[in-house]
Amino acid sequence: MAQKQPEQRRFTIKNVVDVVRARRSGLGIALGMGFHQAEANKVAVVISELGRNIELYAGEGTITVTIYDRSIEVVAEDNGPGIPDVERVLAGGYTTSQGMGLGVSGSKRLMDEFEIHSVVNEGTTIKAVKRLR
Amino acid sequence: MDMMESLDGMDTLGTSTIQKLENLLLVAVPRDLTDNDVLRLRREVLKAIRQYRSRWVLLDFSRVDICDSFFGRFIQSIAKMAKLMGADVVVAGLQDAVIETMVDLGMTLADIHAVLDLDDALALSRQSGLTREFTSEQADRSEGSLSGNAAGFPNVGSSLVSSTEV
Repeated sequence: MAQKQPEQRRFTIKNVVDVVRARRSGLGIALGMGFHQAEANKVAVVISELGRNIELYAGEGTITVTIYDRSIEVVAEDNGPGIPDVERVLAGGYTTSQGMGLGVSGSKRLMDEFEIHSVVNEGTTIKAVKRLR
Repeated sequence: MDMMESLDGMDTLGTSTIQKLENLLLVAVPRDLTDNDVLRLRREVLKAIRQYRSRWVLLDFSRVDICDSFFGRFIQSIAKMAKLMGADVVVAGLQDAVIETMVDLGMTLADIHAVLDLDDALALSRQSGLTREFTSEQADRSEGSLSGNAAGFPNVGSSLVSSTEV
């Protein structure tokens, strides 16, 4: 009980409405933490991009937003088909969907830390962190 | 409609989203568009271009505070489609934060005019002098003996054809 747990919000993603809700909540959380409007906006867009990928490829998953003292962490998790070629997706311009092929590669550019763990046929976990400046 | 109900309290597609203003079609882009809304809005815009014979489509983004890559694709696709109807798309009212994110995300929008706000959009459309030579009102009036050809094109030589400046 000595250590205070960081505040956390978990969003279940099953459809686009869930994505819209999650990104709007994320924007509010980031603004509330004192992020500049533009930085908060980036966090919201990353939630949107990762949420869309969950909805599109895995069908279902979660996005967890964790509030730390000087940073916000967004973790997107699903048990979907996984990403066969992570490097290629990170390089950008690769899409099988209706986006611009910027979802993952663009999200990486918007954040300070970005990690992908993906196993084909098991699922994908993406962790992204934005630090307060 | 179920989509809109489940987004209660959010700023979604309403009824007064599309308006005609001079030779501009003014589209107030709602803040929280789902993918279905985006597709519906795109179809409504194309329909309105035809109905009002708009030469310019102004996408007013001033209410949009989160613009992801799907949104970017929406802007791009609507511009391409409008182009095939002879209309140009102008984006106005992008918020500073949205602009910063769009550029950092790597979004590139080809063949899109952008202006600061509605005033600049109106100035651009007036300055270009690009208007339709035949308004829908004239088309209605001229139905019958002086109607356009079967494909719906105006008779360019008709004496009814005049400038449509408002």
